[in-house]
Amino acid sequence: SRTKTQSTEQCLLLVVLLVSNMLLTKEGVTSLPICPNGSVNCQVSLGELFDRAVKLSHYIHFLSSEIFNEFDERYAQGRGFITKAVNGCHTSSLTTPEDKEQAQQIHHEDLLNLILGVLRSWNDPLIHLASEVQRIKEAPDTILWKAVEIEEQNKRLLEGMEKIVGRVHPGEIGNDAYSQWEGLPSLQLADEDSRLFAFYNLLHCLRRDSHKIDNYLKLLKCRLIHDSNC
Amino acid sequence: NVLGLLGNIQLLDFCTSLGQSYPGKPKIIRCRSLEKETFSCWWKPGSDGGLPTNYTLFYSKDSEENFYECPDYRTSGPNSCYFDKNHTNPWTTYNITVMATNEIGSNSSDPQYVDVTSIVQPDAPVNLSLETKTSAGIMYLWAKWSPPPLADVTSNSHVYHYELQLKPEKKEEWETISVGVQTQCKVTMLQAGVKYVVQVRCMLDRGEWSEWSSERRIQIPNGESPPEKPTIIKCRSPEKETFTCWWKPGSDGGHPTNYTLLYSKEGEQQVYECPDYRTAGPNSCYFDKKHTSFWTIYNITVRATNKMGSNVSDPHYVDVTYIVQPDPPVNVTLELKKPINTKPYLVLSWSPPPLADVRSGWLTLEYELRLKPEEGEEWETVFVGQQTQYKMFSLNPGKKYIVQIHCKPDHHGSWSEWSSEKYIQIPTDFRVKDMVVWIIVGVLSSLICLIMSWTMVLKGYRMIAFILPPVPGPKIKGIDTHLLETGKSEELLSALGCHGFPPTSDCEELLIEYLEVEDSEDQQLMPSHDNGHPSKNAKMIPKEKDSDSGRGSCDSPSVLSEKCRESRALPSTLQTQDVRDVQENKEGKRSWETECIASEQKILLFNNESTKETTWPATQLPDNHPPMFAYHSIVDAHKITMTTTNVNIASFLVGNEEHKSQYSITETVHDDMEKQREMENLHSKTDQTTMQVIKTRPNDKSPFLNPKLMDYVEVHKVRQDKETAVLLKHKENSGKREKYTVPGTSKEYTKVSTVVDHNILVLMPDSRIHHTSVIQEPAMEMSQNLQQGQAEKNMSYCLTVPSECKRETSGSEYMDPSSFMPFK
Repeated sequence: SRTKTQSTEQCLLLVVLLVSNMLLTKEGVTSLPICPNGSVNCQVSLGELFDRAVKLSHYIHFLSSEIFNEFDERYAQGRGFITKAVNGCHTSSLTTPEDKEQAQQIHHEDLLNLILGVLRSWNDPLIHLASEVQRIKEAPDTILWKAVEIEEQNKRLLEGMEKIVGRVHPGEIGNDAYSQWEGLPSLQLADEDSRLFAFYNLLHCLRRDSHKIDNYLKLLKCRLIHDSNC
Repeated sequence: NVLGLLGNIQLLDFCTSLGQSYPGKPKIIRCRSLEKETFSCWWKPGSDGGLPTNYTLFYSKDSEENFYECPDYRTSGPNSCYFDKNHTNPWTTYNITVMATNEIGSNSSDPQYVDVTSIVQPDAPVNLSLETKTSAGIMYLWAKWSPPPLADVTSNSHVYHYELQLKPEKKEEWETISVGVQTQCKVTMLQAGVKYVVQVRCMLDRGEWSEWSSERRIQIPNGESPPEKPTIIKCRSPEKETFTCWWKPGSDGGHPTNYTLLYSKEGEQQVYECPDYRTAGPNSCYFDKKHTSFWTIYNITVRATNKMGSNVSDPHYVDVTYIVQPDPPVNVTLELKKPINTKPYLVLSWSPPPLADVRSGWLTLEYELRLKPEEGEEWETVFVGQQTQYKMFSLNPGKKYIVQIHCKPDHHGSWSEWSSEKYIQIPTDFRVKDMVVWIIVGVLSSLICLIMSWTMVLKGYRMIAFILPPVPGPKIKGIDTHLLETGKSEELLSALGCHGFPPTSDCEELLIEYLEVEDSEDQQLMPSHDNGHPSKNAKMIPKEKDSDSGRGSCDSPSVLSEKCRESRALPSTLQTQDVRDVQENKEGKRSWETECIASEQKILLFNNESTKETTWPATQLPDNHPPMFAYHSIVDAHKITMTTTNVNIASFLVGNEEHKSQYSITETVHDDMEKQREMENLHSKTDQTTMQVIKTRPNDKSPFLNPKLMDYVEVHKVRQDKETAVLLKHKENSGKREKYTVPGTSKEYTKVSTVVDHNILVLMPDSRIHHTSVIQEPAMEMSQNLQQGQAEKNMSYCLTVPSECKRETSGSEYMDPSSFMPFK
């Protein structure tokens, strides 16, 4: 009789668990509408993905603007770096829209791929930047910290963008078009002035490209999520 | 005498052995007049002989022998003497010597002879300015300046002659140009491209030329030089799609100049010219959408070109991403929401500037709003991010707020201008909680009011007396006009002619001394001196026929003070002042009294005619006339003339009082003899007044003119009796004077109050004539007679022994208006 009662208790417990599980499952379904009915794995919506990507790109651009300004203030005063910086950035080989009309005319898939290309082009230089910037004489913590932060956030943004691209047109991930950076030696130049200019130019380009990415993403978000009515 | 000061040889010998000696000989360096009206002389001191040395400048004039000392050692600096206008005569030759003096001796300079006209040398002209101008293709120099500033000459009547000199900067020789009397000059025939130095000087008549003014330099533009290089001021993109750059031109070198904006883009070698010079106005370049790229640096320069050449501005680097400055937001609306059970809040909403395309996501704007109460100083600023709506809670009810919004791109660029001001009135909300608070506040404040008013009632009389002291009315109810009419004018005239004039008024003394009575601490017992308290007077006065208004004015201090007040109020220069204030400051009071009397006289003289017309006939009213007239009850319009009347009569009585002081029954108070002396000073004025009155009399046939009336006035006043009368009786003048010069004592004075209690005022100067009084109420005869005696003693006391009077006594006993008031 003892085992009998035990089994009865177990049965009851099982029933309770099942019922509660059912209830919980039902509740979960109703509270997560982003999961399409019948889909196997629940996904974050595209809008949410864009929101996160825009926030991230905004943050990255904010950081890169800050790091550029700090560097400019600290190391570039009176050196006329801006006049030399017109030589361009390593990502200039990637043809990106240069004004609103171009950005609006380009297909969103192409624009997304361009963003991916730019982000990938920055993977390498950001890693080197984060390490080389520590060798700048008396580099303040704020610059060092930001260089690391930008590198990490850029990786995260790249992951997110790959996800978005995979969502927008599945199956075509793997476009490896990106610009190779070959500026590492310039960051290690013995001549301080040249070295500082190399950093200046890299940060200048980082600021520009991060703004580009941020701008394109905001444009795409409005176009794809809000139907061009932000 | 200057030379006489020189030298004590023995002392000199002694001192030279100590290394000390008399001072060296000073030398007059120069004398100079800036403008012929003043002049200065400077000297150079000799050795001081090792001791402190004083320098004295002496001068004599050719016309006289006297020596004078320098009038002003300071104005022209150390070791100088300044002769101002008063000490400068252009027709005189001055012989000037400077003497140095120390302990041992003195030494004089050689004399200097100065003719002011010949030492005139003005200061250099000032404010020299130069500019080049081109007229008909010819370049010339235009020079302007101002005449030398003069310290103490206000009128710039001096005519200077000017001379200008100039030379090329690198040359030594000056070229001088005589300008004449003008303060400007046009110089032609200049070498282009050369820098010139210019100076100017001036001369007054045939004096000396001034110093040259400070140098001014000017570059004469070279006709062959290109224009100055322009400066790019700024570039701005209002909507992140187009942008505009502006520049500031330099000087054009005197030729028409063209400006060209050139730009190249990052990574491109090609140089482009501005696509649109017009759209954004002069000296600007507008880059439309097609010419605007982002994430590209523009290298922009402006070239200025004229026929002589061109000059290029410094390059300006622009990344359009960073020069976005939007227009201010539009459609700012303020809406006040009033949800139930919560405080109202403000909903602000706005639209992005119309040019900015925020919908596409190309441009993202962030907003900031600021608000302040209309009268506030500091703005409260709120950053609201990208939203175009904002709710504001916790605004102060009942205030009007000003709201403005501006915007900026999300990352770079700059804030727009603030939008136009929007106003919103936050209503005052009376909610239940607030109401409770207000009710409590209201109850509390009304309680306080109640307590205060209760206190007022308890101490009401004191308060009223304090603020509006009552004015006692005349103490005489009527006058026997028949007796007045039968009076002999000859007697009066003889009395006036032989005995009184010019009178040294004791009445006047009484009047003024009375004012000191007000100094009393017992103010609540004192009569009102304030015109603002007419009601009491009005009650009392109609009962009394004021045939003796003159006496009243003399006797009654309150009347006097009222009179004084009025007369003070009339000349606008005299301020009406609370009597209490006067009392608190005796000095002030005395001057006040003087003013008062002086002004009285003025009014008297001024209003003589009206006095005759309005007042005196009134005093002629018969005994049984309804008691409508009293000078207190006169309507306001007549107050001035009434005042005058009082003055007249008072003055008249003053004259008589000299030998017939029986008219005064009042106490008078003398603080000290000093005041009496002060009063005596006023008598001269009083004389004048009296004379004035006399002049008017023969025509007036006033009862006061009757010599019989002048003898004394007998007053009966019975409190219960509405028909009181004043009886005037005349009597002989002889033998009175002596009588009233008998000093009284202060103790007798206090008996006045007794009189008041008996409701009878009797004014009798002489006890011998008591029997002649016509007593209307025989029952009162005894007291009346008694009173007469007292009054007369009183009077004489006051006249002769003023210093013994007690102010307090007089104030409390006599002045209490309540004792005069039948209806009290």
